[in-house]
Amino acid sequence: MDDQGCPRCKTTKYRNPSLKLMVNVCGHTLCENCVEMLFVRGSGNCVQCDTPLRKSNFRVQLFEDPAVDKEVEIRKKVLKIYNKRDFDFPSLRVYNDYLEQVEDIVFNLTNNIDVENTKLRMEQYQKENRDVIQRNKAKLTREQEELEELLLLEQQGNEQRRLDVLQEEQRQLQAKRKNKQALLDELEQSQLPATILLAKHKARSAQLETEIEQQKQSVKPTSLFSTGIQQNQTVSLVPIPRIEEVLYQYRPLKMDTYGPPAPDLGQLGRLGYLNHVRAALPQDTAGGYTTAMACHRAMQDAFSGLFSL
Amino acid sequence: MFHCSSHKSYWIFKDEEELSLLRCEANKKCIKKVLETVKFGVSESMFLKRHEEECLLRHYEKRLLDFCNAFKPAMPKSVVGTAVMYFRRFYLNNSVMEFHPRIIMLTCAYLSCKVDEFNVSSSQFVANLVHESPAGQELVAEQILEYELLLIQQLNFHLVVHNPYRPMEGLLIDLKTRYPTLENPESLRKNVDDFLTQASLTDIGLLFTPSQIALTAILNSASRAGLNMESYITECLGLKQDKETLSKLYDSMRRMKIITKKYELPKPEEVNACKQKLERIHAEFVANSSNKRKRGYEDDGHVSKEPRLTTEELSDDDLI
Repeated sequence: MDDQGCPRCKTTKYRNPSLKLMVNVCGHTLCENCVEMLFVRGSGNCVQCDTPLRKSNFRVQLFEDPAVDKEVEIRKKVLKIYNKRDFDFPSLRVYNDYLEQVEDIVFNLTNNIDVENTKLRMEQYQKENRDVIQRNKAKLTREQEELEELLLLEQQGNEQRRLDVLQEEQRQLQAKRKNKQALLDELEQSQLPATILLAKHKARSAQLETEIEQQKQSVKPTSLFSTGIQQNQTVSLVPIPRIEEVLYQYRPLKMDTYGPPAPDLGQLGRLGYLNHVRAALPQDTAGGYTTAMACHRAMQDAFSGLFSL
Repeated sequence: MFHCSSHKSYWIFKDEEELSLLRCEANKKCIKKVLETVKFGVSESMFLKRHEEECLLRHYEKRLLDFCNAFKPAMPKSVVGTAVMYFRRFYLNNSVMEFHPRIIMLTCAYLSCKVDEFNVSSSQFVANLVHESPAGQELVAEQILEYELLLIQQLNFHLVVHNPYRPMEGLLIDLKTRYPTLENPESLRKNVDDFLTQASLTDIGLLFTPSQIALTAILNSASRAGLNMESYITECLGLKQDKETLSKLYDSMRRMKIITKKYELPKPEEVNACKQKLERIHAEFVANSSNKRKRGYEDDGHVSKEPRLTTEELSDDDLI
């Protein structure tokens, strides 16, 4: 935001980062001070484009590019007139055409193309659809009111909760203070020795602490799930349709080795093959290697393809 | 496993006629290609005939075997077997005239080291070419890398080769376990190894399965030692009932023995004559061979260096 300076006093923006830029209907910016100075009489001409302007038309800039701000202002004004909604139209195509019209108007007004004609078109539209505009305006205001009501409710709820928490804290503080005071009083008046009194006090304050902890942890039981379903409500689901299919039968894979069958991996030791193979060293077995593996592989290779021709 | 491998499905042929047919095809294809690209200065007599190609191939196979045996660090037998098989398979579908066997032989060895997980870097590999200068070795390394992809492609990407060494071990274990009649199977080992080495120099690897080759090797060395192992085959391999398979097995073993007996190393004079022809072909149809380069080596300096180096390299006291 600092890269933009006020076009008039230039330096003031960098020196004073809290300074705000104001935009007018012509799309050019001026810092607050300059506005004050130039429009002390209420109206004047823009510094860059020399269009006659009023002081009241200046608004605080929200976007970096003043052109965007200008367009936003124009759009607001146009949409006040062109305020039909999607259910006012018979088909999607017609609605889209209408929206395109609106965009054309906004574009023209923003870029100062054909301003006269556009303004005429707007006035004509306004005259033709006066009642529709009124009705929609009313609807809009109603909707806005509802939204505002909801917001208000939410805010009130938040406030209430905050106050409750505050009160809770106050009460706990009070209880602690009372406890301390009670100890002091007892020490003053009672006949019992001080150690016993101190022990009793400690016990009481520990009890208080646990009570506070419990209160903090106790959650208010809610009646609603987060999806909006009541907790005790049974939701009836549509039963899943059964699909009857043929059950899968496992059949072990049969492979033709074109040779005599090789002995099984597990049988090798029993049949005495492993006596003729180099035994696995300890470092080999660490990785999971067994002598039977090498033997089995040699046997398989020896018999595979023996009879094939 | 072998029974579901590409080796069994694609690289085991029925008989030697099929193999010679394939090789003739490759020869003719290459000749046709050269005749198409080079219009003049070419006569039929310049091309290698089938038997000349055979002679060259046998010579280079032996050279490959010697190279692998002299390799440092020591190459495991399966790597050697794979390399020789690659060489054989490559020249089943391609002609010597198109690709010089010297480079293909080294590429086969290099690829086989990679496939069989015998880790050798390319610089370590070419350091084994003791007769080359370091610059020459680097050149060879580059050539190997160029031809590697071509080799893989011509092998149809079937890179796993089942060698008969593991089946041989398996059969020896089986003999020791189930056939106590044979006293000391370990004594057969040397002869078996020799037989297998001899077999790898022949076309046996393309005609029979590795377990059959191993069995033949064992039976052969047993019969040489005067021991009869027929009962092993009938009893232990469960072929008492199955007469047909038994006879087929004996038949193939007989064929293998004949093939190994028939093998002979080509005479040096023949080899030299063929080599000269080959060099001439490669030198003349330089455009032919440079088209095969995968990377565009356009500079003539590199291309003209190659024949000179090869003639240096082809001295007979090389590598051994």
